[in-house]
Order: sequence, then structure tokens, then C-alpha cells
Amino acid sequence: MKPRSLLLHTTAMRLALRYAVFYAVLIALGLGALYWAISRYVDAQLAAGLEQEVHELASLDRQQGRQKLKALLKSESLIIGENRRYYLLDETKSNKQTGNLLAWPHALKVEGKVQNIWIEDDLIPGYMEDQDGYWPMVGVVLDDGARLLVAQAVRQAEDLQEFILATMAIIIVVSVGLALAMGWRLGRSLLDRIELINKTAERVTAGDLSRRVPLSGQDDEFDELAGHLNSMLSQIEVLLTGMRQVTDNVAHDLRRPLARMRNRIEVTLLEPRKTEDYRQALEETMTDAEELMRTFNALLEIAQAEAGSYRGEWKEVDLSALLEELSELYEDQAAEHKRNFKVQIEKELLVTGNRQLLAQVITNLLDNTFKFTDNGGSILLEAIHEDGKIQVSVSDDGAGIPADQRDKVLQRFVRLEAARSTAGNGLGLSLVKAVADLHKASLHLKDNNPGLRVVIEFKG
Amino acid sequence: MHILLVEDDLSAAAYLVKGLTENGHVVDHAADGEDGLHMALTQKYDVLVVDRMLPERDGLSIIRMLRADNNTTPVLILSALGEVDDRVEGLRAGGDDYLVKPYAFVELLARLDALARRGNENESSIGLSVADLELDLLKHKVTRAGQVIRLQPRELRLLEFFMHHAGQVVTRTMLLEQVWDFHFDPQTNVIDTQISRLRSKIDKGFDRPLLHTVRGIGYKLDETP
Repeated sequence: MKPRSLLLHTTAMRLALRYAVFYAVLIALGLGALYWAISRYVDAQLAAGLEQEVHELASLDRQQGRQKLKALLKSESLIIGENRRYYLLDETKSNKQTGNLLAWPHALKVEGKVQNIWIEDDLIPGYMEDQDGYWPMVGVVLDDGARLLVAQAVRQAEDLQEFILATMAIIIVVSVGLALAMGWRLGRSLLDRIELINKTAERVTAGDLSRRVPLSGQDDEFDELAGHLNSMLSQIEVLLTGMRQVTDNVAHDLRRPLARMRNRIEVTLLEPRKTEDYRQALEETMTDAEELMRTFNALLEIAQAEAGSYRGEWKEVDLSALLEELSELYEDQAAEHKRNFKVQIEKELLVTGNRQLLAQVITNLLDNTFKFTDNGGSILLEAIHEDGKIQVSVSDDGAGIPADQRDKVLQRFVRLEAARSTAGNGLGLSLVKAVADLHKASLHLKDNNPGLRVVIEFKG
Repeated sequence: MHILLVEDDLSAAAYLVKGLTENGHVVDHAADGEDGLHMALTQKYDVLVVDRMLPERDGLSIIRMLRADNNTTPVLILSALGEVDDRVEGLRAGGDDYLVKPYAFVELLARLDALARRGNENESSIGLSVADLELDLLKHKVTRAGQVIRLQPRELRLLEFFMHHAGQVVTRTMLLEQVWDFHFDPQTNVIDTQISRLRSKIDKGFDRPLLHTVRGIGYKLDETP
């Protein structure tokens, strides 16, 4: 898509157009009202002038006689004055007409009131330069029954109207033009920045996950949007990298038992064997299969917990009761394996979450302490309220984890050298991390001097 | 016992039918939900094994139809899903037990035994006894050969479960689920430790043991191993 074709569709352009129309209408209404008021004023002024003149002429006729009036009309008629007035005296008795209007307009009544009458060109003498139109005029009857009219050519009034109309037109055209120009400029600058985002998105879609939307540095909404998009892209990149790594790990960690199973079966089938040999091979294969299934289940559980929107039961869990139950299970275990197992659990520790997952997390941590301590080792399960948070910790005085390895062990399938000889799949702490995240709890691996102290901190 | 297996995975079904038949059961197999429902409604079975995801009609719907028809045959649900809410959903629909694939065959056998016997047992709500071991449910008192045995509350629940299933093999997973309400397997054998403690209280110093280990499967409370 080319930006040019998009321009009319930009929000800025649409807004500009909408405002342009709005203001044009507003200006038209205002000027219309002004025009109307001025017209009224001008009309009233004209009417008053016409009425005054016709009365002056009538009183001249009354006081100084008809001849004086006629003389005046003749001289007035010959001068085309600035005010462009027309006169006609119609003496009905002698059927004589004096003045510069060629005939008496039929529609004009002699009531002394101003009327707008349509005047054709043929009523106007050729030397006058006025044109046809509605002319305001007034007619009166003189003492002897003769009629007298005074008319105003409309050119003056029309000039004013035309001037106002032209002004209105110019203002409207200019304001719409300005609005469009502004809209275009604004639209262009919006489009340019959106183009940047589009280009980045295209690159990312094409597989270049390291692309980011450049920021303008203006710290505006676009920079904010770009910032959000960039952090989204970073998150996607992290997740994808993680997924690739997990896939690699899964392939690596599952290939070994699978290869072992296949080799065993292959060798067993090479030649006829005794029943006990078959039985032994099958039993060993089943053990391998079970191990594989455990690994798969653990991976599935981690994936479900990491999915963010957990579909399992989610309600208030009495953490104190749950930990008591678990410690009961492990107390005998500790006695049998000669571990010094201590438990300190405060009452009424409540968290919202999934009981099974929480129990499994504590179980994983306790299982680990048994794995990584020797006979006589100490294990502490502690749960306390602190600063409005609920803190559950599992500590031991075993080998511990070097500080620089503590983040690493949370990843899937990571087993440190010390753990190579023990049973396990390297997924225990990954699940702990995933479940802690799911419960919005923070997970800390700390030095227990010696040993490891794992702390899960729930928001109270 | 007479078992109806409703399972659409034909190779899994064939292996289950073979295994159950070899263990002395009579097994009918239905490959889709409609057939399964029809067979369950028209014949009398001791226990039903129903897969959750089935063609034509899903497993939970079969169970709901049966329960609506006042059919109380115990049902064990098989599921390839495995989330906790699936289990809750299955039991709410009227299922009696829930087993997530992949499972061990012996686990299935033990659970079917437990389910089928629960159906026709007329147990006393006052007391249970196995040989000379007696449990008074009202007073929470345990005696063996007249001798009072002191048990912790959890040990008492464990023993009660064993006595309800006297003579049956009980797996570690069943114990974890029923006595502790935990639906996962700890890697270390915490259950074994609990059992050996209970065993030391009820068997130690008596002429013959009652709580037996069934190798590779679980435990059994019985007069004879």
C-alpha cells in the first residue's frame, strides 16, 4: 500500500475534513446572520430616505405648485446622482408623465409605503445604466389625484450583498483549504511513523526477531506505542529462544533413554534367549518407559503452569495445614534416612492458588533436600508472615548451589555436576519456578552457609 | 467380574481386554460412546471403564446419562488430559475414580477391584475388623487381640482406608489420593515410610503380620499374604 492512497483514510485527514466542514458551516451561519442584519438596516435606511423624499416632493407640490415640482423633477431626472433615484409624476387627468421612469409600474400602490417592485429594462431610460430587478419604491397621490413615485435603483444594495457573499465564499474556501492542508501534513507525519512500525513488523514476521521500532525521541504516544511493541517483541524473542532451547534439551534428554531402550530390545532379539532374560529385558524397558513418562508429565505440568491462564481449581488454600500435612509425610522419611528435619509453620497462612501445585512444589523442594544432604544433614521447612507477605522456605546444609549457577538451575533439564549421580530429570526446580510465577510469588535461591535456602514469597 | 470397557483406541483396548481377561475378568468392549451407552444401559456390569474422549458421545456424557437413569454401576474414567480440574469435572459428572494416561496396568487392576467391591459391600459404620485387628469408628479406637494400639490421626485414616479395602491390593497412588488428597507422585517413597510406621504399630509383637507388601504394586491388609 502506498501512503498517498492512504492519506484520505488517515484519522488526521478525516478529523481535519470534519472540522473544516464544521467551521465552514459556522462561518456561513455567522456571516449569514450579519448579512441579514445589514440588509435589514440598509433596506430600512433606503425606505426611510424614499419616504422622506416623496413627502418633501408632495409638500413642494402643495405649497409651491405643480410647475415647480415638474421643474424640479425634470432637473433631478437629468442628473444621474450618486444615490441613483428615479422619479415619475403621473397626471391622470391630462395623461402626462414627468420624470425618468418611462411608465408607472402596475404593481405599485399609492399608499405612501415602500414596496419592492420588479422593474423591467424597458422601464429604464437608455442613458441610465441600471438594470432590471426588485427596486424599492414608494408612491403617493397628490391633491389633484396625480400620482408621484420615487424609486431606488438596486445596484447599491446589491453591491453590498455581493460583497458580503463574496467575503463568505472566500472565508469558507480558505478555511476548508487550510484545514485540508493541515490534515494532509498531520496525516503525512502520522503515516510516516506508522510506516516505521509497519516496516519493523514486516521484518519481524519475516523472521528477523531482533528488529525493533525506532523511537523518535519526542516521548509522545507513538514512542509509547513503539516502546510497548518493542517490549512485546523482546518478550517474544525471549520466549522463542527459550522454546528452542527447551526443544533442544528435550531432544537431547529423551534421546538417551530412547536409544537405550531400542538397543536393549535389538540385542535381546538378536538370538533366542531364556525366558528369564526376556523378562529382565522387558522389566528394564518398562523402567525406562516409566522414566520417560515421568519426564513428559513433568514437562506438561510446567507448560501448563507457564501458560499463564491456569485452567485448574483456583481457590483459597490453607498453606499452614498443607505444609503440616507434608511435613508429617517427610518426618518419618527424615527419621528413616537420618536427617535432622525441623518444621516451623505459623498458623493461618492463607494463599489463593492451586493446592495440588503448591503441594507438588514443596514436595519437589523437600525431595531435593533429601537428595543433596548426607546422613546427619539438617533440613528446615519454615513458613512465616513477614511484612504482610507469606514466606515459605526450604533449607538444607548440603552441597548448595554456587551463586553463579542459581539462575541456570531454574531452566529445564539443567542438572549440575553434583546431581549427575542422583535420580531425577532436571525439571523439579523448573516446575517450582513456573508454579511460583503462576501464583505471582517470587522465588529466591539463597546461600544457607552451607547449603541451599529456597524462599518462595507470596503476596499476602 | 464383568467389565465394560469403552475405549476408541483399538490397540490400547486390545491390550486392556487381554490383561483384564488374564486376570480372571470378563470384558466387553465398545469402541464409541453410543455403543458404550447402549451396552451399559442394557446389560449388568460390575464396573465400567470409560475413556473421556470418545467418538459419537463423550465419556462424561455417558456417565451423566447412566446416573440420570439411576444406574449406580461404579465408573472409572480414563483420561489423556491430566489437569486437576479435569479430575474434579469427571468426579462431578458421576465418575467414581479417575486415572490419567499413561498409567500402570496394575494400578488400573487395583482400582477396578476397589471400585467393584465398594459397590456391593455392606459395611458397618460402627466398626471394622480384619482377623484380630479391630477398629471402632465411633471411638476411634484400635485394638489387636484385645490390646489397645495408639495411632496418630493420620495413621488412623490410613488404617481405616486399608480396612475398608481389606483383602485388596492398594497402590501408593491410591493412598496418596484417598488419604492425603495429593494427586501427584513424590519422587521419594514417603508413602513407604508411613506404611512401615503403621506396620510397626499394628504388626510388631503379634504372631502373624496383617499388612503385606505386594511387590511392584502396593500393599494389602489381609489375614493371609
